[in-house]
Amino acid sequence: MTEPAEKQKNYPLQQIYFYLTEGCNLQCRHCWIAPRYQGPGKTYPSLDLSLFRSILWQGISLGLTTVKLTGGEPLLHPDIYKILDEIKKQKLSLLVETNGVLCDLEISKKLKAADENTQVSVSIDGADAETHEWVRNVEGSFEDSISGVKNLVKAGFRPQLIMSIMRKNLNQLEDIIKLAESLGAASVKFNLVQPTARGETLHEAGETLTIEELVETGRKVENVLSKTTSLKLIYHQPPAFRSLGRMFGEKESIGCSVCGIFTVLGVLSDGSYAFCGIGETIPEFIFGHAEKDSLRDVWNNTPMLNKIREGLPSKLEGICGNCILKGTCLGSCVAQNYYRSRELFAPFWFCDQAKQKGLFPSTRLKE
Amino acid sequence: MKSTEKPIANPMVVLREEFDDWAILFDPGTGEGFGINPVSVFIWNHLDGKHTADDILVKLRAECNDTPEDAAQFIEEFIDTLLEKGLAGYEDH
Repeated sequence: MTEPAEKQKNYPLQQIYFYLTEGCNLQCRHCWIAPRYQGPGKTYPSLDLSLFRSILWQGISLGLTTVKLTGGEPLLHPDIYKILDEIKKQKLSLLVETNGVLCDLEISKKLKAADENTQVSVSIDGADAETHEWVRNVEGSFEDSISGVKNLVKAGFRPQLIMSIMRKNLNQLEDIIKLAESLGAASVKFNLVQPTARGETLHEAGETLTIEELVETGRKVENVLSKTTSLKLIYHQPPAFRSLGRMFGEKESIGCSVCGIFTVLGVLSDGSYAFCGIGETIPEFIFGHAEKDSLRDVWNNTPMLNKIREGLPSKLEGICGNCILKGTCLGSCVAQNYYRSRELFAPFWFCDQAKQKGLFPSTRLKE
Repeated sequence: MKSTEKPIANPMVVLREEFDDWAILFDPGTGEGFGINPVSVFIWNHLDGKHTADDILVKLRAECNDTPEDAAQFIEEFIDTLLEKGLAGYEDH
């Protein structure tokens, strides 16, 4: 029997998400962080190595076990090898989100050496070059990313492919699964395009899916496509829309995929402590700076973090307040909810729209 | 629970069945929901004050071809959990 989530009483800082670079070598239409485009010959700042080390050391005393490297594009960081050495030295678990373009065999082996169980996710937004490069806005990036996935597989990984679903690639779900199978991936994750930063522009342009299409696509992925492949398929929708069997069943469990909001902190490329990458667009979500503030102080005493800890899930509003899975889901993405409404406990847009259209599963409602 | 006891589902608790045979036990008093798998749904539907855990096991074996060897333990543990959470009880005599 599944249990409602218990209210946590203490908050170990288990994970830090490092947004290592201010620039990115791609310029994706849906990016919720919107880094600057770092094309050939350009260089933008990245996280100082000594700050990175200092943050790790401080984090370990607060419970740190896992580091996620993301961006921008983490493999653009000029000291990426030293960063990986430090992670290995500290025996931390490693998660990497990359566009794969820079994944040559050497860096792939280095990622494997940093942590035998490193999990690498590579963003592939189309099953062909035309679609992927329409999304990613850089010519040649499809072949580069596919080569990157192949190098990761050669280095011993079974990476995850991540596709952000939008109108342009909606008809390629089956093809991306076949591509993932042929490349040796372990799973495919289908992400919703969040209406944040460039993603918001994409929503406004009508290039994203309607809520009806999103709910229907979720059903298709979870109930139809997942039966056609041995790969794990994850449709990143709120738990209220997932079948219980898919979340909790022993045979095909994909878990709940919820934000680790109580145990995660972000570090931006300039050394700022932030809620997550949302700190790039919402100044209120910057909580200090690694050069002058102690991580312990930021983690324990930031008023906004404490307000969130005290308020979740009981203060969630609207449909999220009326959902029996709110203790598990915690409003799906507080950062996104705040971006949209400037209210910390506002409901998640997906659930809100689904409710308005009568698509929210009635079995998951309190009333 | 004792093997002779015949538990009964808390009548205030609502079983919300879903499309994949899993279900949610929803307690309106607390607003809490508990996801349960299809076997647990079968057990829940027999908590009518007329069946012991052994009776339910017999019915389960008659209904399902591949009943696991530890089914008896599963049934007892599930009922114990329900009793503990106030989702089931016994009729007063």
